[in-house]
Amino acid sequence: MILLNRMSKGFPTISHEEQTRITTVVVRVAVMLLEYGAESRLIEQLSSRLGVALGCTSIEISLIPSAIVLTTLVGDSSVTTTRRAHEQPINMSIVHQIVTICISAEQTPRNIMMVERALGNIHANPYPAWLIVPIIGLSCAAFSQLQGADWLGFWITFLAASVGMMVRRALSSRNYSLLIVFAFTAFVCTLIASLSFYHGLSSTGRIVLSSSVLLLVPGFPYINAMLDAFKGYISMGWGRWTQATLVTLMSSLGIMLAMGFWT
Amino acid sequence: MTWFSLLLNSLWAAIPAVGFGMIFNVPRSTLPLCAVGGALTYGFREVLLFNHLSIELSTFIAATAIGIIGVFWSRRYVMPRPIYTVPSIIPMIPGTYAYEMMISLVSMNTVGVTDALLSSFIENGLRAISILFAIAFGLVLPSMYYTKRKQPII
Repeated sequence: MILLNRMSKGFPTISHEEQTRITTVVVRVAVMLLEYGAESRLIEQLSSRLGVALGCTSIEISLIPSAIVLTTLVGDSSVTTTRRAHEQPINMSIVHQIVTICISAEQTPRNIMMVERALGNIHANPYPAWLIVPIIGLSCAAFSQLQGADWLGFWITFLAASVGMMVRRALSSRNYSLLIVFAFTAFVCTLIASLSFYHGLSSTGRIVLSSSVLLLVPGFPYINAMLDAFKGYISMGWGRWTQATLVTLMSSLGIMLAMGFWT
Repeated sequence: MTWFSLLLNSLWAAIPAVGFGMIFNVPRSTLPLCAVGGALTYGFREVLLFNHLSIELSTFIAATAIGIIGVFWSRRYVMPRPIYTVPSIIPMIPGTYAYEMMISLVSMNTVGVTDALLSSFIENGLRAISILFAIAFGLVLPSMYYTKRKQPII
């Protein structure tokens, strides 16, 4: 009985090589969660649940916005590793797939092969351009409608936001920095939306201008920053807050440049 | 405010929720619930505004409501909560106020500081920031309640 108990806790049965392998898998999960925009509490919870399911005694993790330090403990032996996290576009589909993997790992414990295979099969599931561009145009146009723009303003917003989304996708796929992408997209959106001032085409030009750049709102970074700060991850909260504020500032820079262009 | 215009505005609000869900690349199966969440949140805020609550307070209550609903949805469909809650609050983003604030800042730079521009800057800026904080606090509150428990939500 005592032997069984020790085995289930994993003390004598996990060699150092196995522990290193487990550490690699767990830190890979944590880095993916950080890169694709999960909140800090989810990162810590999921990686420690996965580590325990794979046979560790416990997982200790230290998060900063650009890197992760992670230690797996098995009895007295510990393995520590550091990984750099690179900036990626937010992808909730990947986060959801990782959550599913962790839950299935808890149901079949100590099965590292299954976890590795499932992690290799994660796919980004991007939405196709022909769908996302008109939908984003329609979203910003709906914003203008909610704020009370007229119908010509609605269509100008639709055009500006659709072109803006195309520009954003094109620049992102060429791996430009996020700040440059946002500034340039805001510039293009504002230039097109300024059409509404041309011979008084739309009587609600200000609403058109303000809603056509709403596709650049950094919703996830702001909400994640607040969630992190409130749950005790102060440095992560500050990091995300700074990132979101920088992005917003760069968008307003683009808007200001475009407005200076036509006045 | 008639029931018809309330319904129409909620439908308009459902579109940005879906669109931003696509930007955040949520799983395809969650898009209908994002739409429902956006419509519910915006409609609820309209009702509260109609009952003469201030815009900050009604935004806060609506965001808290979607935060609580998100806990149930995330348990039922095994999804992280932000997948539902963040696209749903997007229609309440105070874009116009933030924009007006920026415009008055720019014109203060070009034509000089006047009382009207300064008060427009401060009023719109305060309004935008307080609405943003109301949204964030509203979403944080339900998940703060659930972090007391040892058991994770999903």
